[in-house]
Amino acid sequence: MSETILDVQNLRKTFGNHEVLRDINLTVDKGEVLTIIGRSGSGKSTLLRGLNLLEPPTAGKILFHGKDVQAEDFNLATYRAKVGMVFQNFNLFNNLTVIDNIVVPQMSVLKRDQNTAKQHALDILNQMGMDPFINAKPAQLSGGQKQRVAIARAEAMDPEVLLFDEPTSALDPEMVDDVLNAMTDLAKTGLTMIVVTHEMEFARDVSDQVLFMNDGVIAESGTPDQIFGNPQKAETKDFLKRYLSRA
Amino acid sequence: MKKFWIAISSVLVALAVLLGLHSTTAQTTQAATNGTFKVGMECGYAPFNWTQNTNSHGAVKIQGSNTWANGYDVQTAKIIAKKLNKKLVVVKTKWNGLLPSLTSGKIDAIVAGMSPTPERRKSIDFTNPYYVSQLTMVVKRSSKYANAHSIQDFKGAKITAQLSTYHYDAIKQIKGVLRQPAMDDFPAMRVALESGTIDGYVSEVPEGITAEAANPDLKMIHFNKGQGFKTSASDTNLAIGVRKGYSETNKINNILAGMSKKQRSQRMNEAVANQPSTASKGNWFVNILKQYGGMLLTGTGMTLLISLVGTIVGFIIGLLVGIVRTIPAPKNTGERGLLAFAKWLLSVYIEVFRGTPMIVQAAVLYYGAAQALGVNMDRTVAALIIVSINTGAYISEIIRGGIISVDPGQTEAASALGMTHWQTMTKVVLPQAVRNSLPAVTNEFIVNIKDTSVLSIISVSELFFTAETIAGQNFQFFHTYLVVSLIYLVLTFTISRLFRLIEKHLDGPKDYNVMNNQMQVETPKIK
Repeated sequence: MSETILDVQNLRKTFGNHEVLRDINLTVDKGEVLTIIGRSGSGKSTLLRGLNLLEPPTAGKILFHGKDVQAEDFNLATYRAKVGMVFQNFNLFNNLTVIDNIVVPQMSVLKRDQNTAKQHALDILNQMGMDPFINAKPAQLSGGQKQRVAIARAEAMDPEVLLFDEPTSALDPEMVDDVLNAMTDLAKTGLTMIVVTHEMEFARDVSDQVLFMNDGVIAESGTPDQIFGNPQKAETKDFLKRYLSRA
Repeated sequence: MKKFWIAISSVLVALAVLLGLHSTTAQTTQAATNGTFKVGMECGYAPFNWTQNTNSHGAVKIQGSNTWANGYDVQTAKIIAKKLNKKLVVVKTKWNGLLPSLTSGKIDAIVAGMSPTPERRKSIDFTNPYYVSQLTMVVKRSSKYANAHSIQDFKGAKITAQLSTYHYDAIKQIKGVLRQPAMDDFPAMRVALESGTIDGYVSEVPEGITAEAANPDLKMIHFNKGQGFKTSASDTNLAIGVRKGYSETNKINNILAGMSKKQRSQRMNEAVANQPSTASKGNWFVNILKQYGGMLLTGTGMTLLISLVGTIVGFIIGLLVGIVRTIPAPKNTGERGLLAFAKWLLSVYIEVFRGTPMIVQAAVLYYGAAQALGVNMDRTVAALIIVSINTGAYISEIIRGGIISVDPGQTEAASALGMTHWQTMTKVVLPQAVRNSLPAVTNEFIVNIKDTSVLSIISVSELFFTAETIAGQNFQFFHTYLVVSLIYLVLTFTISRLFRLIEKHLDGPKDYNVMNNQMQVETPKIK
């Protein structure tokens, strides 16, 4: 049995009277890549943002290594450092250079000294081929470059889990592969990843577990082979047909 | 002038009532404790009092400055101080500030050519007169009224006088005169006379002599006996103002009684002869710079100091207030209540200081603190405090706007990385908010440079106050204010250009050249 990192129990989220998430249960094991697919508005992003409490859940529990992350005495900052996040719109710090985007959080949150943080950042940027841009400001980068820096920023915190919120949706098509390659490389290192995406090839080829969300619930889950090869529910079939016919 | 003073005093009274500290505590501050005789005057009303750059003709150094005061008032005060066995200290004070300065104990006496009117007697006492004035008329030398000998010769003439003075009422004695709206001060009337909008203004003899000496185009009318203005003694008398119940009043009256009429007119003649004259030869611009360059430079320095320190400190206040106002509500109920209270206090601060004029704030702080609390504050310190706090209130809102304008994704990313609110603010949000706010902050700085001129209410010798002093001496109002407006323009223009450069520097170039990157270790992959 592999170790369970995240255990989500009966998670519920409402905005006013609108119920966005209902009865969500899932577990993520160490080293696993979990992809969440589904239509826009099905609650994928809300679920992901619930996991690191950017959107605090209305009800339900999230256990990290068995500990309730919503408990009074739980150290949220440390938890968030261990559960990194990559956003659809990159959200690089616009006032900082590429290198400082990666160095400043390490120093602020992990209290690393500047040299260690900088060396760590350079190593990661080298791997991604982003090292020529270390002194650039985010505004001087293309979308694909920004997203690779954002991934580097999250990776530099040495997280146990990385959350990806539609990391390629805001990119021009020719840049999507750069980012997907970087993510695939990360998955090969054994990092635990939860990815919300519309990239069905990535979901099929890289992930260990696929969740299909529909209307605020997990409609179907299983291995990529099960979901893509032999979907059980009508809505899953319907969704996949539309997407795969486009490819 | 009167209205304004009523406004100021009502604010002061309101403050005093609010604190439950009526005039009982007002007397606690006595300036003359260490053998000094502090005398307040404008130092810009020649020949009674003026400012000069040297100590010639027995001038007395003006407190806290590198200039000297002289004139009829100064020479009279010198004699009184000597006989009181006290050291004379001249405190340069704007006309409007004289009464509050006296009642709040910042000075011991007003020797500034002031008439003991019944209104003034309500708040302060006066000694016996130290000079008896006489009304006259000042006209253009080239006008048809230049040879008048009776006030009745001014039938059909457009005549004015200073607002809320008995001069203005006296115009009614002329039959068939066209009485014009009253004017604020003598400078305004001289300009009006020169430009021909009026035919003459009512003045007092010493002022008339001075006007004649300063500007050869002007002429003072000598009325024939019995054909001049009819005046009452309470108006033409000039007396020394003292606090009610001042212990030395009787002594001063005795000293004044010992001065003969002849001695007084002798002293006035000396004052008229010694007053600074305008160099009429050569270029006016060069002359102003030569004669008053030092004063202008000091005034510019003071204006720059106050507005610079005020903007910087106000900026720091604005940043701190901006941070506190954007702290997210904590879970703990007690902490939440405390934060809500702090935020409420800050919004009260902003509303109060944005909602009242800086000129009133300055008067309340400087005179109010002295009158109600007995705190005698240095003028410059009071000015720095007021400008800083006032600017802080504005910049808080500017920064808040700057913070709001920062993409919420930035805060989200910082929280997702585990950064605290303080770290997020200082490392990510505020640098961007400040950049976004820079144009508005530049505005504040420029506004401060110009608005420090209202601090002349508490007699801070910034640029505008200096200009008033100079114009009061050389009578070249247009020229002096032209030079001063040029200085203001140079200051503000330099600042706006400087801040544009800073903005450009912060923004950096639009594109990134990888070849310029010193730290490049390998060629970029091109895909």
